[in-house]
Amino acid sequence: MGLTTLFAEATVMTLGLALSSLVLGLLMALAFSLAELSRCKPLALATSTVVAILRGLPEILVVFFIYFGSTHALFLLTDEFIEISPFVAGTIALSLIYSAYASQTLRGAFMAVPKGQTEAAVALGISRFHCFFRIILPQTWRHALPGLGNQWLVLLKDTALVALIGVHDLLLQARMTAASTYEPFTWYGIAALIYLAITLVSQNILERMKSRSNRHLTSSHSVTEGPVEKTVSPGEATA
Amino acid sequence: MNMDYLPELLKGFGTTLELTLVSLFTGLMLAILFTIVLSLKVRALSWLVKLQILLFTGTPLLIQIFLIYYGPAQFDVIKNSVLWPWLSQPWFCAMLALALNSAAYSTLLFKGAIDAVPNSDWEACMALGMTHRQALLRVILPHAARRALPAYGNEVILVMKGSSLASTITLMDLMGYAARLNAQTYDTLTVFTMAGLIYLTMTGVLTLLIRLMEHKVLAFSRS
Repeated sequence: MGLTTLFAEATVMTLGLALSSLVLGLLMALAFSLAELSRCKPLALATSTVVAILRGLPEILVVFFIYFGSTHALFLLTDEFIEISPFVAGTIALSLIYSAYASQTLRGAFMAVPKGQTEAAVALGISRFHCFFRIILPQTWRHALPGLGNQWLVLLKDTALVALIGVHDLLLQARMTAASTYEPFTWYGIAALIYLAITLVSQNILERMKSRSNRHLTSSHSVTEGPVEKTVSPGEATA
Repeated sequence: MNMDYLPELLKGFGTTLELTLVSLFTGLMLAILFTIVLSLKVRALSWLVKLQILLFTGTPLLIQIFLIYYGPAQFDVIKNSVLWPWLSQPWFCAMLALALNSAAYSTLLFKGAIDAVPNSDWEACMALGMTHRQALLRVILPHAARRALPAYGNEVILVMKGSSLASTITLMDLMGYAARLNAQTYDTLTVFTMAGLIYLTMTGVLTLLIRLMEHKVLAFSRS
């Protein structure tokens, strides 16, 4: 009855938050990885520092920093209390965390594409812009997909953190229902199972995407990874 | 920057460190046990281990902490049992959740590392007349360690970062003190920046320690 609808809405909220963080995070990861690979040394160094800081901080601190900190910063700047919505703050924080890890995967994947590809494109008179988007990026995808997929699973689990800043997601719904029914085990358990179901479905889709991205190779299952890995260190992503 | 916050924040530092180390140790012991169970292929037990891995790697750590801390109170049987003094303590619950979570990920890692050692290594050892024990201890495990150690280093950092979630079940760790200071002073940027710096220092020191350890343990693999 009512509870089913509430939990369904909360699941949609969690998924929406995760997906919008994924899109924003991927864009930022692309920018970060290109900045780190750029020939402008100060830019590369600054990006590496930002990425290292984001990776070294607990996720909860990043979420709190963005949510509470942005209000504080806006107050210092404008002398007015402007509150940004928890959803926006959560999306920004999660996509920052995602991009910090994903940029390392992408960087490895870019380096895995042989230099000859760019040289051949230049020799054929293809413009730099065209070369990057039509030749390099599609090849990067195949190398980056396993790592990006693992980080998507991590991102999905990190979305639970935004319940702490008041986004009405799965965890917050479970918390409210648990408090009103005095059945914490049941409701947290149900929320956990919904997360598990989303994870399993994601894994399935990722597996299919992986075999699709490798379909031009003779053995389509040559690149298989363990079911769940928290992080892929930059070195491993290219190996 | 206002330095008055530092002593207050450092009060929580000990809790964070203690929680991290105890959870890591418990998690490591469990992971070794689970890896042995999986390697020996004990049917019922390895099924249970696989279920544990599925549940703890497929759900958010925050929910696991909530489930372990708030969950048992629903059942009178547990409330009246000898376990209750432990399960009603936030410190123990956070430790348990972190340890089980870390155990699940570490088991995957260790099992993967052992499976990645090629079968021909075993055969070569046998051909050289080594016993099973010798082969395992002198050849297979060192090679597996070489694969597993760098990734386990990541796991150490992840547990340290995960320990900050204990603040959500009223445990006053570094993050707990930071959140309280923030609520008391509204000096958000300063408080969280300082807490962040402490966490970054911890990450840095841990990374360095892991590198050193890798260097020592993996000395055999360098020529």
